[in-house]
Amino acid sequence: MAALLTAYSSDYSRDMVNDRSAPAADEAAWIRQAQQADAQAFERLYRLHVGRVYGICLRMTGNVSEAEDCTQDAFIQAWTKLKKFRGDSAFATWLHRIAVNSVLGRMRKSKRERERIQVVADVAPPTLETGDSGELRDLSEAVQRLPQGARHVFVLHAVYGYSHDETGDMLGIASGTSKAQLHRARRLLADQLQEQGFSE
Amino acid sequence: MTDRNDDNLLQAASRLTTDISPERDLWPGIARAMETPQRAWWTPMLAQAAAVVLLVGGSSAVTYIAVKQPAPPVAQIAPELAFEQVSFGTGYELGDEFVKARHALIAELEVELKRLAPTSRAEVAANITVVQDAIYEINAALEQDPNNTLLQQQLLSAYREELTLLRRVGGLTRNIMMRNDI
Repeated sequence: MAALLTAYSSDYSRDMVNDRSAPAADEAAWIRQAQQADAQAFERLYRLHVGRVYGICLRMTGNVSEAEDCTQDAFIQAWTKLKKFRGDSAFATWLHRIAVNSVLGRMRKSKRERERIQVVADVAPPTLETGDSGELRDLSEAVQRLPQGARHVFVLHAVYGYSHDETGDMLGIASGTSKAQLHRARRLLADQLQEQGFSE
Repeated sequence: MTDRNDDNLLQAASRLTTDISPERDLWPGIARAMETPQRAWWTPMLAQAAAVVLLVGGSSAVTYIAVKQPAPPVAQIAPELAFEQVSFGTGYELGDEFVKARHALIAELEVELKRLAPTSRAEVAANITVVQDAIYEINAALEQDPNNTLLQQQLLSAYREELTLLRRVGGLTRNIMMRNDI
């Protein structure tokens, strides 16, 4: 990681910038530096976390363009709010919460989500490049067909591993509602996947 | 962090890819935004509020003046200066015909103002300034937020107020301005 620090430049290779193995000490140092308006340190944090942030945005929105916008918006907001980060939660959790807020904010503003849901009732959704293969790809596509509320809960709870309390907190819903939405998502997914031989 | 069930579906879900690389590098856009000073969220709202206050104040003052002051002899402007369906064009620029008519009315205003008593003349001039300040403020706000429908409507209203004022004081024009003229 020391090599990464010394070799750092804004155009270093994607392999290097996607290094997810930064020790916690490095991340903590980058956070401190970024809080002092060090843009390069913040870029390191971006490189470290962009995959999961983009993953959350992509799975929640089901749309590459919106996921890119939400990801950028989340990191811009994180930059402006970084001084308020006190480390009460993990930096990733704090960042994911901002990303979820960005997604929800955009969806509230946009009618595209409603139109998209309407469209998928009749037309198969575009396949998202999520990196899943085989049965997991079928499941990933089935998740994209879920209604918004159920999809958001399923993504945060079942895919990203947040508890119902955390999921509810992020989405602004009660923990019980999160559980109900998960139950609904599982039922809908089971129905969808039944024909494809995927057993619950 | 998790309280997930361990049934097959949830197990499979937990194996879905969580770390997905965007198809393009999003950092340059973020870096650009980081370099741009953040504009306070209230700036456009404050500009809108100021514009509304100016418009309402100006409109009320104009009405007050119009009621208080006996109507001066009205000079008809040349028919060729009448305009319809003016267009503000790209970037809220006024259309040529609109500009011509506006200039003619303002020129007429200079003549008519001289007929007024000094006190009334000062009041009218002050109120024209109020309305024109509102136009300036709204245009400034539109530069920051060009697609703001409320501001567009306010700009249209401000021009209407200005024309109403000019018409009341100096002359008569036939104008039809519509929301979609902007």
